[in-house]
Amino acid sequence: MTLDGPKAGPKSQTILVVGGGIAGITAALEAAETGHEVVLLEQGPSLGGRVTRLARYFPKLCHPTCGLEINYQRIKKNPRLKVMTMCEPTAVAGRKGAFTVTIRRHPRYVNDKCTACGECAKATAIRVPNPYNYGLDKVSAAYLPHEHAMPMRYVIDPAAMRAGEGAKLKAACAYGAVDPDEKETTFELSVGAIIWATGWRPYDPNKLDVYSYGHSADIINNVEMERLAAHDGPTQGKILRPSNGEPAKRVALIQCAGSRDNNHLPYCSRICCLGSLKHAAYVREQYADAEVHIYYIDIRAHDKLEAFYNKVRSDPQVRFIKSKPAHIRVGDDGRPVLFGERTIDRQIYAEPYDLVVLATGMEPSAVEGYRPAVSLAADDYGFLVANEQDGDDGIFSAGVASGPLDVSMSVQSATAAALKAVQAVRSGM
Amino acid sequence: MTVAPPDTSTKYDLDFAKWVYENIEGGDKLALCMQCGVCSGSCPIGVQMDYGPRKLFMMIRAGMKEEVMTSSTQWNCTSCYRCVVRCPRSVPVTYILQDLAAKSAELGYAQKTNENVNFARSFWWSAKTFGRTDERLVTALYYFSFGLKEGYQRGLANLKIALNFVKRGRMHIGLPHRIKGRRQLKAILAKAEEIAKREGLH
Repeated sequence: MTLDGPKAGPKSQTILVVGGGIAGITAALEAAETGHEVVLLEQGPSLGGRVTRLARYFPKLCHPTCGLEINYQRIKKNPRLKVMTMCEPTAVAGRKGAFTVTIRRHPRYVNDKCTACGECAKATAIRVPNPYNYGLDKVSAAYLPHEHAMPMRYVIDPAAMRAGEGAKLKAACAYGAVDPDEKETTFELSVGAIIWATGWRPYDPNKLDVYSYGHSADIINNVEMERLAAHDGPTQGKILRPSNGEPAKRVALIQCAGSRDNNHLPYCSRICCLGSLKHAAYVREQYADAEVHIYYIDIRAHDKLEAFYNKVRSDPQVRFIKSKPAHIRVGDDGRPVLFGERTIDRQIYAEPYDLVVLATGMEPSAVEGYRPAVSLAADDYGFLVANEQDGDDGIFSAGVASGPLDVSMSVQSATAAALKAVQAVRSGM
Repeated sequence: MTVAPPDTSTKYDLDFAKWVYENIEGGDKLALCMQCGVCSGSCPIGVQMDYGPRKLFMMIRAGMKEEVMTSSTQWNCTSCYRCVVRCPRSVPVTYILQDLAAKSAELGYAQKTNENVNFARSFWWSAKTFGRTDERLVTALYYFSFGLKEGYQRGLANLKIALNFVKRGRMHIGLPHRIKGRRQLKAILAKAEEIAKREGLH
């Protein structure tokens, strides 16, 4: 179809969703289920993003696997939704109805003949930091991203190819699924609207130098705590001290580690308070004699989430200490020691713990250089916002790419973005 | 955890916070304080302060003028700036404490409770007179500011240390060291005084 005037040229009704986390999956499905063609790009080897790495959700403490599985079934049943993993956009040109997106596909070295039998993993001795567990353990360089991976297909770390393991891995595969010669490729897609759902990453705890993150294995951040509590994590779900493998029975949870701080992230990341309340529940579930201390400025449990706060607060072995710790040092016995002032009674403290969890905030992944070249602008903090007030330029943001949100709010944001994208590709039909 | 019961004898000056916001350097940033406690927790000599900056700031907001102006907090600050660097709200804690000290001395509060004001006065006398601080004169002036008897007692108690300083060349005998351009220093200080008056800083 062609039109005259400024809108001339072929129109595409395909919607591109960038990012295969919970927001991207939701936006892609909602749009595809209205009958539109949708392409979902994911830079990693499998879908699910940060959510698939959570042990449980707050406030009901249910497992993310459940909701993700329902979504994966929807994806498999929908012929209009195409998922492309190992792909990231490198350039966006054009305008609403006629975007050209350049996409780089990184080699996976494993094609769709893979049955996830695992023979390739046995064939190489090379081990790499496990990205699924934030590097808390190592995994074979030929690995299944995790047991719930979508697609259920192995991936080979480029380190194995650099080490010349390609032929060995290829020989190990009975299905002809390993392709050591796969190269990085670039291709273009024509789409009518784009949803940017690039999500977030935890604020780098090494930047919080007073909290000594790199100086003790027992000082971890909140996403690592999720992995310690997860059955498929590095400790099979037991909350153990990373330094010596002993049970962590005296645990400090530090709120606003990087958030609400002009020296780091000036904004409230919104999820950390509830995340830490959940972490307190993880520890107390596992150890009847555990003590958990939550260091906070104020607890931000909005609307119905306050019930969960009250529930955790009713546990006498969870103490709420109103104080932003000043610094953490490693004590003579190797345990981390918190220093600061309790602001209710002005006591200066020095408290040792088995495990310290920094509730680091959310930083948008879509940084300079990875931001779409047209239309979407970033706010002061790097979250993507629509340039035009009516958002009628065909590019939208969803989930944490648009601001710090929890999972349920991300899903709402993604559904809204899907509707906007559908409207965008239908306008001018 | 023990928390003291409310003291009903405290007098509150409800205009005090406003006075601090408008008259103390950096005071206008005080409203940004969210009482997280990083300043007092970071302070290397926080335990030697009666209140510490966080509590002092809350007391300013509450209008506890007498307690704030006679506090040891502003006098024990060593200006290490650790609180300023770490404050998540960029409150210039050190500047506020320094000016609170100056104002509490100027308005006659500090003398009641804190001897650091005597030291500050002795130090400044030497600095403005010679352009340098002379340890002997600063110390002597400081000791005798507490009266003749106490001055002798404090001097005698520290005599051995002083003699060891001299022996190791850390303290000299003879006239005080002085800078060359003392006349210019005097002019600079006079100009500063003039600007301060004009800007209403006193």
